[in-house]
Amino acid sequence: MADLSLNLAGIKSPNPFWLASAPPTNSGYQVQRAFEAGWGGAVWKTLGEPILNVTSRFAAVGFNGQKVAGFNNIELITDRPLEVNLREIYETKKRFPNHAIIASLMVEPTQEKWHEIVKRVEEVGVDGLELNFGCPHGMAERGMGAASGQVPELVEKQTMWAKEVAETPVIVKLTPNITDITFTAQAAVNGGADAVSMINTINSLAGVDIDTWDTIPNVAGKGAHGGYCGPAVKPIALNMVAECARHPKINVPISGMGGVSSWREAVEFMLMGATGVQVCTAAMHHGFSIVEDMKDGLNNYLDEKGIDSVMDLVGKSVEKYSDWGNLDLNHQIVAKINNDVCINCNKCHIACEDTSHQCIDMLKDDNGNDILKVREEDCVGCNLCSIVCPVDGAIDMVDYANGKPPMTWNERQAAIGAASSCEVDLIK
Amino acid sequence: MSTYQEFEIEREKIDFLLEKGYTIKGVTENLSGAFVEFEYQGNNPDKSKKERLHILHPDARKYFSTILVQQQRQKEVQ
Repeated sequence: MADLSLNLAGIKSPNPFWLASAPPTNSGYQVQRAFEAGWGGAVWKTLGEPILNVTSRFAAVGFNGQKVAGFNNIELITDRPLEVNLREIYETKKRFPNHAIIASLMVEPTQEKWHEIVKRVEEVGVDGLELNFGCPHGMAERGMGAASGQVPELVEKQTMWAKEVAETPVIVKLTPNITDITFTAQAAVNGGADAVSMINTINSLAGVDIDTWDTIPNVAGKGAHGGYCGPAVKPIALNMVAECARHPKINVPISGMGGVSSWREAVEFMLMGATGVQVCTAAMHHGFSIVEDMKDGLNNYLDEKGIDSVMDLVGKSVEKYSDWGNLDLNHQIVAKINNDVCINCNKCHIACEDTSHQCIDMLKDDNGNDILKVREEDCVGCNLCSIVCPVDGAIDMVDYANGKPPMTWNERQAAIGAASSCEVDLIK
Repeated sequence: MSTYQEFEIEREKIDFLLEKGYTIKGVTENLSGAFVEFEYQGNNPDKSKKERLHILHPDARKYFSTILVQQQRQKEVQ
C-alpha cells in the first residue's frame, strides 16, 4: 500500500484529495461529512463580508449524453457571518485534527482588511490560507476576486499584506481569465506566497434557451456571466499548471484543480507539477463518496508502478513539456488501420477526406471485401482518424522510421539565420 | 489528393544539386515558400557557381532545412 499522504508547503493531509472552496465546503456539517467519507482536506468556502445570493445559481452543459461535462455557477462567496464559519472551522478541526482545513479568503484590497481577516481566521486553528483572487463573477464587480487577480501588482501587494501577519502557509488561488497565468503566479511568488493554486473558474455563459431566449441560468429572465468548471475545463487547467510548473521563477508548490473527476486526472495534474488536487464539480455531481474510488484507484496505480509515495509523482512529466519550437519536425508517425478489427464505418475516411489530408483510400481486398488503407507517404500523422474511430484497436498511430535526424523549428531557424539570404523571385 | 509527388519532385531537384557538388548557401522564406541558393564547391569550371530553387512543399522545406542543419554541424566539427 502506497503512502498517499501529502505535504503542500507544510500543510499536511492524509491524502492528496481536497475539496475546493465552493458549495461543498460551505459549512462544518458538509466538511465533516466529507472527512468522514475520506477526503484529505477541504478549502473552506471563501470567507469575507457575507454576501447575498440569487436563484437560480447553477447550470450544467451536457454533451452527447454525458451529463455535467461542464458546470457553470453564479453563486458568490459565503453568505454566513464570519463568526459562524469560524466556530464551525474550530469544531471541525478539533474533530479531524489530521485533516487539512484551509480557509479561503476574500476581502477588499486594503492592508487593514487583509490583516484583520488573516488574524481572525488563524485564531481558530486553520492549517493554511488560500487567497481567492480568482472568483470571476459578482465579487469581481466589487473589485475583488478575479478583478484583483488579473492585475499582477494587486496580486503581489495583497499576498504581501496577508503574509505580513500570517503564521500558516499562504496559497494564492489564481484566475484563468488572463492571457498568461505565469505573470500573476510570479506576482504571487514575489509577494511571498508559499504556494499557488489553479485554476479558478472560467468566465462563461452556459447557454441560451432557444424557445424563451432567456440565458441559462437566469434570474427572473436576466443573466450574468458565471464561472465554468468541470471535466470540460481540465485541459485548460492542466496546461496552466504545467506552464507554472516549468517556469523557472515560479518555485513554489502548486495545488491543481479544474476538471479533476477521478484518480486519473489527479495523477495527470501531479505528474504535471501539482502537489495534490482540489475537486468540486465531481463531488457536486456524484457526492462525497467518490473519494473512495479516487483513493483506491490512486493507490492501485502507485502499487502497479512500484511507487512508494504519491509525492514521488509530483512534476515527473514537467520536463516533457516545452515550447512548440523545441519539438522535432522530423519525427513522423502514421496511421495504420487494422482491417481485421475495423467495422468499415468509414468515419476515418470521411474525416480525413473532408477535414484533414486525404490519405485514407476505400479499397477492395482480394476477396472483394471493403477495406480502408492509409497511404503512408501522404499521412501527416495528425491523429484525427484514430480520434474519430469508434472501435478500440482499429487504428494505431505508429512510428514511421524516415531515417531523418531530429531537427526542431528553433534549430532550423537558427541554421537559416546563420546562412546568408537568397535572391527572391517575385511571384506575379 | 496526394501531394507526395510534388515533394518527390522537389526533393529530387535538391538531391541533384547536392550530388553535383553544391551546398546550401542561403535561404529566404516568404509567403511564397522558400528560395534556396546553392553554391558549387567543386572544381569543374563548366558548373555554374550558383543555383537557386523555389521550394514549395512543406516536407521539402523540412528536407532542405535538415540538410542545412547537418551542413552547419559538419562545419562546426571541422
